Amino acid sequence: MVMTAVRQDVTAADPPSAPPPAAARRRARRRTYLWSYVYLAPMMVLLLAFVVYPIMASLGYTFYKWDGIGDPSEFVGLANFRQIVNDSIFWRSLGHTFVYAAFVVPIQLVLALALALVLNNKRLRFASFYRTLFFLPVVTSAAVIGVVIQLLVSNFGDSINTLLLNLHLIHQHIDWLGDPHFAMAIIILVGIWHTFGYNLVYFLAGLQTIPDELYEAARLDGAGRIAMFRYITIPMLRAVGVVIVILAVIGTFQIFDLVQVLTSGGPFFATEVVNTYIYHLAFGGSNANAVQPDIGLASAASFIYGLLLIGFSIVQVLVLRSLARRRGAS
Amino acid sequence: MTVMTHVALLVSGLAWLYPLFWALGSSLKSDDDFFTDGLNPMPSHFLWANYLNAWQEASFGRYFMNTILITVGTVVITLVVTSCAGYVLARTRFPGRGFCLGLVSATLFLPHGYTIIPVFDLMQRVHLLNSLWSVIIVQASGGVVFGTFLFMGYFMAIDKELEDAAMVDGANFHQTFARIMLPLSGPMLATVGLFTAITAWNSFFIPLVFTLGRPELRTLAIGMYAFIGENSTEWTLLCAGTVITLAPIILLFVLLQRFFVNGLAGAVKQ
Amino acid sequence: MSSPISRRSLLRGAAALAGAGALAGCSSGTSGSGASGSKAKTTITYWDWYASQASWVDNEIKLFQQAHPDIAVKKTTQVSDKYADLVSLAYRSNNPPDILMVPKSPQLSQQVSQDWLMPVDKWATKSWQSSFPENSFVEGVDVFGGKLYTAPFAAPAPSLQLYIHHGVFKDAGLTNDDGSVKLPKTWDDVTQAADAIASKSGGKVAPFGFGNSTNTTLAWWLDLFVRGAGSPGGAAVGGIDGMDYRVGQWKFGSDRNYLDVINLLMEWKSKNWFYPNSMSISDEQARAFFERGRFGMTVGGVWNQPEWTQHKFTDYSLVTLPSPSEAPKALFYGPPGGRFVAVSSKTSHADEAWAWFDWLYSPDAGKRWVEQGQGLSVYAKNNDPKSVTFAPFSQYVAMSGAAVVGPQPAIRNPKVSAVQLPAVKPDINDVLAGIYTGQLKDPQGALTELEGKMNQALGDAIKKAPGVSAKDFAFADWDLTKAYTTKPGA
Repeated sequence: MVMTAVRQDVTAADPPSAPPPAAARRRARRRTYLWSYVYLAPMMVLLLAFVVYPIMASLGYTFYKWDGIGDPSEFVGLANFRQIVNDSIFWRSLGHTFVYAAFVVPIQLVLALALALVLNNKRLRFASFYRTLFFLPVVTSAAVIGVVIQLLVSNFGDSINTLLLNLHLIHQHIDWLGDPHFAMAIIILVGIWHTFGYNLVYFLAGLQTIPDELYEAARLDGAGRIAMFRYITIPMLRAVGVVIVILAVIGTFQIFDLVQVLTSGGPFFATEVVNTYIYHLAFGGSNANAVQPDIGLASAASFIYGLLLIGFSIVQVLVLRSLARRRGAS
Repeated sequence: MTVMTHVALLVSGLAWLYPLFWALGSSLKSDDDFFTDGLNPMPSHFLWANYLNAWQEASFGRYFMNTILITVGTVVITLVVTSCAGYVLARTRFPGRGFCLGLVSATLFLPHGYTIIPVFDLMQRVHLLNSLWSVIIVQASGGVVFGTFLFMGYFMAIDKELEDAAMVDGANFHQTFARIMLPLSGPMLATVGLFTAITAWNSFFIPLVFTLGRPELRTLAIGMYAFIGENSTEWTLLCAGTVITLAPIILLFVLLQRFFVNGLAGAVKQ
Repeated sequence: MSSPISRRSLLRGAAALAGAGALAGCSSGTSGSGASGSKAKTTITYWDWYASQASWVDNEIKLFQQAHPDIAVKKTTQVSDKYADLVSLAYRSNNPPDILMVPKSPQLSQQVSQDWLMPVDKWATKSWQSSFPENSFVEGVDVFGGKLYTAPFAAPAPSLQLYIHHGVFKDAGLTNDDGSVKLPKTWDDVTQAADAIASKSGGKVAPFGFGNSTNTTLAWWLDLFVRGAGSPGGAAVGGIDGMDYRVGQWKFGSDRNYLDVINLLMEWKSKNWFYPNSMSISDEQARAFFERGRFGMTVGGVWNQPEWTQHKFTDYSLVTLPSPSEAPKALFYGPPGGRFVAVSSKTSHADEAWAWFDWLYSPDAGKRWVEQGQGLSVYAKNNDPKSVTFAPFSQYVAMSGAAVVGPQPAIRNPKVSAVQLPAVKPDINDVLAGIYTGQLKDPQGALTELEGKMNQALGDAIKKAPGVSAKDFAFADWDLTKAYTTKPGA
């Protein structure tokens, strides 16, 4: 199936008015195209079979009321979409996801850029050692380290509380992960901590691509550190920066494990994010409280969220691109 | 000035890892110390037996092997698939390239997960359920998009002249890739390999679902979860289990990390 | 029982095993669970979610295999909160275990209609059934369409108790003249004990504590206290959780007792009487803190006890159903009959699976269950408090009168089994967390809204089930303090 598509594409792409001496080159090019498809095929097969097809298939579930057992049979039309759109908890969880992203992305990026600038100094010894220190949390799984942090915070929040009480910073004991005002803040802090390393190495990688000659030339011109940062580093990092911002935003919108392990969205949905909301719909059938799972509803929520994310991403790319262009022009 | 920088970096770096130190310290404490020590990570005496107990009670030995097999398999498949795809996307302007790129980028934004039932049915139809292969394939397919992007960026940054010279010398498509391009992409192989290994090692849901009929195929992460369920109040053992689970991947990172930034730097040059 | 291996030998072993392991994993896809059938010894696969009860199961497997040398039981304990999903996926892939603990979701009637389970009437003859107490096999509970699928294992028992830490009580001076701990019986007793603990310890020890990280334990408090006040639905355990079978409706908003208990809890909270981290710690953490005397009272079930025993912590008591006045006005209610394990319809070793089924239900296995302090046995002779040496567990055994058989709609009208109640979110657990954390400012309003939504959902579900009406859930002649016998078709 792939091969027939290949042949059609190649013939269609052949320029009809190619000069005769190019015949051999054309054959070579055709062969190159053919092998290109062969090289690409495994990736496309995996992508289509395990990423694209499941998304399409679950799109079909959105029209059914279905608990995941047997085959979907109870057709409900658009009722699932109506139910999600009318569910205030869905919108609350969407809001929480945005709050999470709005805090994590800027804080993480500013800190990561600052540290990357320090560590990128060629004369700084042990830079790779420090880089390793700050990167390590990334290597740990959110599910496993989340258990440890839950223990740390909830068991021993006592010690922190005693300290704060003694300093008269608070008047009453705080249940960090059990208090609606603080739980999200803790999740944001842990979120910043956990994925900070990615942004650090991305920025470091970006900084390494800036040729040293640029700085040397500027130094010869008598430019100070701030001027070099302003007129060399920032403009040279712009392209990479856009990618880093997009990746960071995508990452934060997929937040799931940390929330599930630390609070599972509680107390009373105070930390529910969209992915935990969907998860609770799709896998409601835990043993503790036997709630029927609703795959149709979960798929509908997932689909709406996907649309929102794609829309948001397009806006984001447009804004970042125009910002980059305007800066570039000025 | 530099001394101050080093002190600041060292102190903040160690503080940054406090939760890991706390887990490590707690894994060596007695039950009572665990409760009275609070935030102090240092055990008063070292209870190495916790590791022996955790290892035996959670049958980590077998899970360890499964996790290694799954991680190695996933990394190998991901590297082969994404380096090939990244190469042609970077180097040939074949018809349909735009469409492929568009498709690949679009999937980057879609929420993943919750599509487990179609994947499960698919695996059943090809008779791979309850095998390590199913975990490896599903796991690898989750990481192909990002890996392809990284390889594409990296290959784009490599000087085109090298390739042209090889072609002039009579090297064909495969030889150019295998003898010229691939050897140059060592840092990127390390980078994608490391990213994939981290995800595969830590993954929970995919191995849980695809090995449900055969507990002997479980991975460390599932073993850890089951362990929490069964020994929910033996927190010192739980911390020991955490250390057992995390140590190998941390070690791998420390060994490979020097390639890491170079690889990424190569990919973002474009 | 592996010994610690060095990293180097581990890596070498991994390299050597890589090929073999991958091959083994690959070939398994086609062979399936029945592969060992041709050998002399038959292996049956068995699934459960019994983590803390594993020692009992493992011992039973050992004894069973000694008695049946030709059968091996391969046990898989699945992660408990994924159990229902994993069972469902296993059936989806046509690869379920031969015998399994019945998952709590989907409804058993649906598991039967999906052809998951095999009727066991062939073996479970009338004489086999006769060793069980009367009314153990009931249409709509363990019998569907006249066929038997599972059987009761445990006797009705109070699901929840108020646990009393002796050390904390003694430190607060809460003792009788003979030096024994003064156990609270009424709501006022509980409040006074809490007051004494709070003032005597100077705030160092909290009177109450719980672990609500899984969002279930607050409802346990409501459940335990509201029953004593005469609300038979409770809030957390029982038929369709929390329904008042006197009227066949939820009464969270209209039954004043619910608000009274919530106000009581909030009053205690306003005095800082709850351990401050109660909302974020897990039930397991709360158990460990209670053991260490960080708080004096907690609500939980008999599942607390085996672990405390293991830690040699036995200095506690339990009381159940604290009431506004002396005697509780409502009790715990269970269905007649019950569920534990069932044989899969897909098994190719039905006889061997039945042998294990039969073993688990034997009076001797039940006796060992009680002796280990896991719970009560369905066989009354196993539950003699005198034969239990461990004091707190004999307290538990002695309070078994606080649980009786309650009304069972599915017995009166078997078609009720077809009613599929959709999940109502936020549920009672969510509402309680919202009130407790101050996010829901109007408890009465929240309760009324919840009651309305749940009754609405029930009404809608009834409409979709032919031959069922709202009356099928109402039992006007129910005396709350006595066992109720539901008559078929009445």
